[in-house]
Amino acid sequence: MLGSLIQQTVNALTIGSIYALIALGYTMVYGVLRMINFAHGEMFMLGAYVAFLVLSMLIGTVGAAGAIALAAAFVIAIFLVGVIGVGIERVAYKPLRNSTRLAPMLSSLGVSLSLVTGIQILAGPQPVAFPSFFPVVRYQVLGGTITSMQIGILIAAFALMFGLQFLVNRSRIGIIVRAVSESRPTAQLLGINVNGAISMVFFVGPLLGAAGGILYASYYGIMTPTMGAVIGLKAFTAAILGGIGSIPGAMLGAFILAFVEVGGTALLPVITHGMLGTEYRDVLSFAILILVLLIRPAGILGEAVSEESIVYKREF
Amino acid sequence: MTLVFDKLRKQYGQVVAIDDVTTSFAPGLIHGLIGPNGAGKSTLINMTAGSYSVSSGSIALDGKRLDTLKKYQIANSRVARTYQNIRLFDQMTVLENLEVCFYPADVGGTWKEVVWPPYASARREKRREKCMDILRFFDLQGYAETDAGSLPYGRQRMLEIARALVCEPRVLLLDEPAAGLNHHETAELTARLAAQRVPDRITIVVEHDMDLVMKLCDNIIVMHHGKLLFQGTPAEVQASPDVQLAYLGTANDIDEIRAAAQDRRAQLGIRARRRS
Amino acid sequence: MSVAETLTAAKPHSGRAISFLVFAIAIALIAASPFLPNYYVRVINSLLIYILLGIGLNIVIGYTGLLDLGFVAFYAVGAYSYALLASPQLDLHWPFLAILPVAACLGAATGILLGIPVLRLRGDYLAIVTLGFGEIIRIIINNLDWLTGGPKGIARLDKASILGIQVARPIDFFWLLLITVLVAGVLVWRLERSILGKAWAAIREDQDAARGIGINTTNAKLAAFATSATIGSIAGAIFAASQRFVSPESFTLQESVLIVLMIVIGGIGNILGIVAGAAILMLLPEVLREFAEWRILFLGLLMIFLIIVRPAGIVPRSFGPDKLIRRLFGK
Ligand SMILES: Nc1ncnc2c1ncn2[C@@H]1O[C@H](COP(=O)(O)OP(=O)(O)OP(=O)(O)O)[C@@H](O)[C@H]1O
Ligand SMILES: [Mg+2]
Repeated sequence: MLGSLIQQTVNALTIGSIYALIALGYTMVYGVLRMINFAHGEMFMLGAYVAFLVLSMLIGTVGAAGAIALAAAFVIAIFLVGVIGVGIERVAYKPLRNSTRLAPMLSSLGVSLSLVTGIQILAGPQPVAFPSFFPVVRYQVLGGTITSMQIGILIAAFALMFGLQFLVNRSRIGIIVRAVSESRPTAQLLGINVNGAISMVFFVGPLLGAAGGILYASYYGIMTPTMGAVIGLKAFTAAILGGIGSIPGAMLGAFILAFVEVGGTALLPVITHGMLGTEYRDVLSFAILILVLLIRPAGILGEAVSEESIVYKREF
Repeated sequence: MTLVFDKLRKQYGQVVAIDDVTTSFAPGLIHGLIGPNGAGKSTLINMTAGSYSVSSGSIALDGKRLDTLKKYQIANSRVARTYQNIRLFDQMTVLENLEVCFYPADVGGTWKEVVWPPYASARREKRREKCMDILRFFDLQGYAETDAGSLPYGRQRMLEIARALVCEPRVLLLDEPAAGLNHHETAELTARLAAQRVPDRITIVVEHDMDLVMKLCDNIIVMHHGKLLFQGTPAEVQASPDVQLAYLGTANDIDEIRAAAQDRRAQLGIRARRRS
Repeated sequence: MSVAETLTAAKPHSGRAISFLVFAIAIALIAASPFLPNYYVRVINSLLIYILLGIGLNIVIGYTGLLDLGFVAFYAVGAYSYALLASPQLDLHWPFLAILPVAACLGAATGILLGIPVLRLRGDYLAIVTLGFGEIIRIIINNLDWLTGGPKGIARLDKASILGIQVARPIDFFWLLLITVLVAGVLVWRLERSILGKAWAAIREDQDAARGIGINTTNAKLAAFATSATIGSIAGAIFAASQRFVSPESFTLQESVLIVLMIVIGGIGNILGIVAGAAILMLLPEVLREFAEWRILFLGLLMIFLIIVRPAGIVPRSFGPDKLIRRLFGK
């Protein structure tokens, strides 16, 4: 019992840390542009595909990559996806900054669809085996099984998240990004480089998402062109759960969601006497999303947006 | 028939934007609401119209509480407003911007409008007639089919006021209607608002253009730091040393102002006595 | 210059000529349909279904300005209504005309049930919640084997008949769909011009200001949601009757996104635009038959391009049905 508890906890932490990496991108983009970036899930997918490509270019065959090649592929791939993210923002969202709220969201839907089909055309729609980025050793801890892969994923994900925290809270660029999130017009009036801040967000967000994608593909040993859709939706759920726009909120939401999911998957069939099987895991996450929005639309750490604040901001 | 604020308060966290305001507005008059930036004028308008919630106290029209109603219900009690920053339905035509105001009255007949064309055209004709009347009044009839968002700024201001007037409101709240208008436009606006002084309407105008306020208003309320500082006719307001200090002085607290005004009165009194 | 620009920019005279041309082509196509091979009739039928779906979804997206990404759920409700009430699955064999109102009501009810909690939310959340809702419905259909047949779906649906006349061949469905599209199109167009339609537009432009003029925005949005869901559900019932088979595969997220795409490309908020969008959506695979998978890539890129360069779509809102009628019949 204790063993399986530990095992499930580590499972939830692993999945949660991957959700968190993706959720951060949603929340940061929403923070600066007040836009839902439907193409963000595709950055996650691109991460895996680009890493695969980089790896095969580095060493010819993907199978027997050494640690250095893997690390290099990881870093190069997430960097490349960050650059792609910036490029997409320039082309598909920037021209729409002053049009309706719907326009950039629709544009991101188009980007999402194009990326998925583009990869389907280039790499084929079928799933592709993905190399393991960490050695797989099983440890028995108090009767539960934990793999070195999980530990590796946790370390990588947490390192990235701490890096982001540092960037946002301590660096100049982080302060700029936060200023732009607070109020774009005011930041503009103060002479802050708003475009630079937005580009930064569209670099860091996809970079983290891509890292999540590589870790995820490596965890499950597989990648598909459509892998970003459902995960993206869940990460977005996590971002809303934690309070959209809030960086700590996104991480908190991701872990809560992961724990509910892992716990729910284990308990659902037991509680309902097999009426509802594990297939309903995704239903559970979406049901949580809807519930959270009903009970606390601002999320756990988010600030409430009422007409008052909207009217007030408009007066300036 | 009056609009009554009773011990009205509005607080944003630590900021007290409206502090215990109690006053009433008589019908048939145009009330000017003036005060320096940040005095709380827009907050009062927004609370009356239901855009902002009330922290404590109450707002009542004819003895009926407004502050407990939802925003659209307040509008349906025939309280109409304009915004400090123009808020029109940009991608609808000028005519449609006015027509849509008849929604509360006409929505019940929607299905009949859909399935029975003669009924629909009769309704539409009726609505349009009223809209065109008000458009002519504001000299906008030539723009009826233009998108509201592409009107010149001054016309947009006029259209927003027209939208507030089209359903003949009992309470009309105007938040800086002359902001951004040139001399000529302001004069036109003043004349039009004066012509809309009907017996059972309460009009409240927030405005920084003192010329307009003094010409137009029957009663002026001066606010400062969320409190009522002074209320009276234009002549009284112009003569009041409190008001002058609120606008010109550096004092921050209302009591300080009162004290300063007292001093000044004393000084004036001395001077006056000396002269005589 | 695009067709629409030509239509709108040109002098009434030439505009009228083009309007007549388009109108004549439409009439000719309708008149020729009975004589086309079955394959083409089927293509035209799915074109009509997409138009019907577009007319429904456009109420929410185009008129009211709410991004609904779970529209396909209502389509599924209609399709499974027919599948369950007219098949050996539950051994029910209701007539088509009895199922249609049931499907319509179920669709409306689902729309309202989803709408009541969700429509109070901020606009951007709506997209994500409806998307989640669409997925929930699909997953439930996929797993509720005893009722829906799970991933295998439900086969051997009854042949539909209306007042004793069998509706089974593609051409029968062509007439059924054509009538449905025309009726729905006219009703929805009249709805758009009604006072409720104006309120929808006001909500789209500025929801707070709309409340400020006395519009109960929750009710108006619910009405939009329910109407849209009803049309989606009716389309689903007809779709199921014409395929005589339903499975969860027809109700994926991608399907929802494609309908959104079609509306945006054709002309958001304009019924004529939807017809154009549906035509592109359906004709493209015929043109690009060798490159089937390129179709969606092309549509995605086209949408991005249009949103940036021509946000009003191919046939902009300003060229609506009333304008077409005026062009055609003078005045
Ligand atoms: N939504 C809000 N949140 C926080 N503070 C607010 C909000 N709205 C107004 N305030 C504060 O309340 C005070 C009164 O503001 P209000 O807008 O009512 O002033 P005003 O008299 O209309 O000024 P102006 O002449 O500049 O329009 C100000 O200190 C303002 O900063
Ligand atoms: Mg103000």
